Amino acid sequence: MQRKQFLKSLGLSSLVVPLLQQSCSKGDDPATSSGSCTTTPSETEGPFPTKNPSTLEMVDIRSDRTGLPFTIKITIQNKNNSCAVLQGAIVDIWHCDKDGYYSEYGGTSMQTVDYTSVHFLRGRQVTDSNGLVGFTSIFPGWYSSRAPHIHVHIYNASGTSLLVTQIAFPSDVTDLVYTTATQYYTKGKQDTYNSTDNVFSDSVDEELATVTGNMTDGYVLTHTINVSA
Amino acid sequence: MKGLIRLCYTKIIDAASTGVWEKYVFEDTYREFFMQAQFYNQQQQYTTFREILESNPKADQLHYLVSTAAMGYLRQLNGRIPDVANVSGKLCLPFRNFKFEILHSHVKEKDQHKVAIHFYSEVLTWIDMVNGLILFAEGDQRDAYSRNVMMETDMLSLRNNLRISAFQPFVQPSLQRLEIPGSIPHAIEETV
Repeated sequence: MQRKQFLKSLGLSSLVVPLLQQSCSKGDDPATSSGSCTTTPSETEGPFPTKNPSTLEMVDIRSDRTGLPFTIKITIQNKNNSCAVLQGAIVDIWHCDKDGYYSEYGGTSMQTVDYTSVHFLRGRQVTDSNGLVGFTSIFPGWYSSRAPHIHVHIYNASGTSLLVTQIAFPSDVTDLVYTTATQYYTKGKQDTYNSTDNVFSDSVDEELATVTGNMTDGYVLTHTINVSA
Repeated sequence: MKGLIRLCYTKIIDAASTGVWEKYVFEDTYREFFMQAQFYNQQQQYTTFREILESNPKADQLHYLVSTAAMGYLRQLNGRIPDVANVSGKLCLPFRNFKFEILHSHVKEKDQHKVAIHFYSEVLTWIDMVNGLILFAEGDQRDAYSRNVMMETDMLSLRNNLRISAFQPFVQPSLQRLEIPGSIPHAIEETV
C-alpha cells in the first residue's frame, strides 16, 4: 500500500499533507480540499506508525557474529500433496555461534532499540514458489553433549505449527572446519557425533544435511524437510 | 540540584488499546506469541501463557521472542518515550532501553493478550521540584551545574505508570571537602 493510501485509510492524510506542502493550499486530495487549515498535530501524536515486520524476518542473520561464511538453503515439501514443494510456509531457524552460544534471550531483561548483538543467528523467511528459504549465516560451532545442529520450526501461512525439527551436519565437514578454521573455532572437534546424539541417533538419515564448500569460500547447506500441511 | 535520575514509564497494551501504534503492537505481538508458544507447548495441552510457563520454565524465553515483533514499532518512536509529555505537550524523554513483558496471553483467545513495555529514559539531571513538577535537563549536567553554566531545562509532572527508576545524588566537589576532618560546618550553606 502506498504511504498516502495508508495514511488515508487511517484518516490521517489531512494531518500530514499540510506538513508536507508547508502551506494550507488546496490540493487534489479530497481530504484537504475544504480550504481550511488543519491544526498541526502536537508531538504527542508521535511518529505515524506503519506496519512493521518482526525483526526476525531477515536473510542475513549474522548480526555481529564471526565465523566461516555459511549459506543455509532449506526446501519445504508437503507430504499431504505428493511431496510437492510448499509455498508460503513460514520457516524459523536458529543456531549457536562459533563458540556454542545462542542469542542472549530469556525473561524480561533490558533490551536496547538500536543494539542488535543480543539478537543473532536467528531468522525467519517465507518459502518461495520453489518451497525454498535461504539464510546468510556463519558455520555454527558446537557445545558440550550435542552434535552440531540447526533448529527449525515450520509454520503454515497462518502461523500454526507444522513441525519442530533439527538439521544434522556430516561429521567429516564439521571435523575439518573445527580443526582447520581455527581463527574462529577454537575448541577442536565436537564432543558428540550424530550416532550418539540424543536427538539424532535414531533419525539422522532424515535429518542429515548436504554440506558443500571449502575453507576459503565457506560452506553451503542444503536440506529438504517434509511436513504435513 | 538533586542528582541524576532515570525515569521509567510502563505502557500497558491490550485489546482495549485504541491508538494505531498500540493496535499494531497488540496484533503483531499476539501473532508472535501464538506462533512461538507452540514450541513450548508441542502437545497443545495448555492455553494460557502462565500454564505454559509453569509446565516449561524455558517458556520464559517467550518474553524476548515475542518482543521481536514489537522491535520495529519501538524503533518508530524515534527514541522518545511515548505518552509522557512536558508541560507544553511535547514528548520529552529520550530512551534507548526497554523491557518487554507478556503479562497474560491465551493461545486461542486474542482478547486475553496483554503486554507491558517498560521504557527507561536516558540519564536526566534532576534539578528541583517546581510547583509539583520535575525540573530537569537531558543528560548528565553535573559539570555545567558546577561551572554555573546556563543549561536548557524542561518540566514534567509525574503521572500514573511513571516512576523514578534510578537515582544518583549530586555531591558538589566543594561539599566533598567537608568530609575532611576539621572543615568548617557552615560551608554547607555557602556551597549549596
